[in-house]
Amino acid sequence: MEMRMDQDYLIQKWLAGELTPEEEKAFEAMEDAPFLREIAGDATKFRASQFSRAKQYDDFKKVLNAHKTPVRKLNWVRPLMRIASIFVLGFALYYFFFYDSLTQVETQFGEKVTINLPDGSAVTVNALSEIAYNEKNWNGDRKIRLEGEAFFDVAKGKQFVVSTPTGEVTVLGTEFNVRQRDSFFEVKCFEGTVKVNFEDHETILDQGDKVRWYNGVLEQGENTYSIPQWTKNVSDFQRVDVVEVFAELERQYGVKVTLENVGGERLFTGGFVHDNLDNALKSITVPLDLDYVILETDKVRVKPREK
Amino acid sequence: MLHLIQTQPNSLSKDLHEDICEDSVFKGLYERLADDLHDYLYYKYGERLTPSDKAQEAFIKLWENCKKVTPSKAKSFLYTVANNLMLNEVKHQKVVLKYQNEKPSESTNESPEFILEKEEYFKKYQEVLASLTEEQRTAFLLNKAEGKKHEEIAQLLGVTRKVVEYRIYSAFKILRAKLEDFNIK
Repeated sequence: MEMRMDQDYLIQKWLAGELTPEEEKAFEAMEDAPFLREIAGDATKFRASQFSRAKQYDDFKKVLNAHKTPVRKLNWVRPLMRIASIFVLGFALYYFFFYDSLTQVETQFGEKVTINLPDGSAVTVNALSEIAYNEKNWNGDRKIRLEGEAFFDVAKGKQFVVSTPTGEVTVLGTEFNVRQRDSFFEVKCFEGTVKVNFEDHETILDQGDKVRWYNGVLEQGENTYSIPQWTKNVSDFQRVDVVEVFAELERQYGVKVTLENVGGERLFTGGFVHDNLDNALKSITVPLDLDYVILETDKVRVKPREK
Repeated sequence: MLHLIQTQPNSLSKDLHEDICEDSVFKGLYERLADDLHDYLYYKYGERLTPSDKAQEAFIKLWENCKKVTPSKAKSFLYTVANNLMLNEVKHQKVVLKYQNEKPSESTNESPEFILEKEEYFKKYQEVLASLTEEQRTAFLLNKAEGKKHEEIAQLLGVTRKVVEYRIYSAFKILRAKLEDFNIK
């Protein structure tokens, strides 16, 4: 044990190159001395320079020069790319949150579509109308934009808002019809309660009530039916300008109606069906004592009946 | 008065070059530091991780940052960058160091058994080197293979001389124990 510790001490000193002449002799006297020398000496066989070296400066310089130009370029390209990426990201986020999430539904002539909203509410959109709503955020903000006519069956829940160019309709959960065509704005409530705002007016509608804002005249009244007739493929009117009645006919059938010597502001009360143009035209013209000709498939002329 | 003016440049000589962007300064640094950096990387990480390329990359980084790095900070900058380059590449790849085979043709008096045993011995030596810690291997080989003095290694690695000696001694102890089978008495 003493001997071993002595040996370790000698080896340590030998490795550090600090052996005194006496210690040197003691080291040489060790049985393992040649073996120890061999191990230490053989380390040179692993010398790095035999296998791998740092490059000469001139070689390095060539690499550096080849490297330099692109590096300089990148130095100003990189900040530009950063700025560009911020714009790209900004646009992407904008589209993601505001643009893309807006669901739009547009109906053509004679087309009716029923849309199921994420909360279980349903909207039936009449011909040539447009609705838009935020599908992603629907449960946070039940707001729908409407141009044209649509029937709403609203599931109970948060405030439900229908916004049109003329006015706004706010409800809690109910069934109601909104019709906004040019200067015509009408809301019919079929179930629950509806609050209607337009210009300075605010009206609360209960079940069966309706309100109409037409050519600057406010009218309140009661519904004739328990469901909007257009959803049953019938349009109905009560004292509405004949021009507007024919406009609706145009929307439902995709035809062009020309009035000849017919006073457009004559009032019409009644309705017409959506599946037969002849019958529809008769329903309008007969009570008003008018006559009609179907010129081509999509052109109709209306004039006073000849006696 | 004249005397005072003359001493001023001397006292500032260390900071004479504020940065190393000047070609002659950079060349001086390269010639002074490149070999040591390369050998250090070689012994620490082995030759598979291309120490020569990593040393070159570190110097390129140094050149790119030459405005920010003072001459006195260049060395530690290089070692840090090169170490990071290595670590990025592979975390724990087995370190392989090559050894030089002696040509048996010249020493024909050696028996085939002897040559075979020599081969076995160096293979074992290589394995033991690979099994050492990075610190042990680097210190031991810088000393025994490269012939660097303990003091130089201490400066290179940024540790005290005592630590270097201890690392060399621990490495040697392991080599001796593992190679004991080849000790012909």
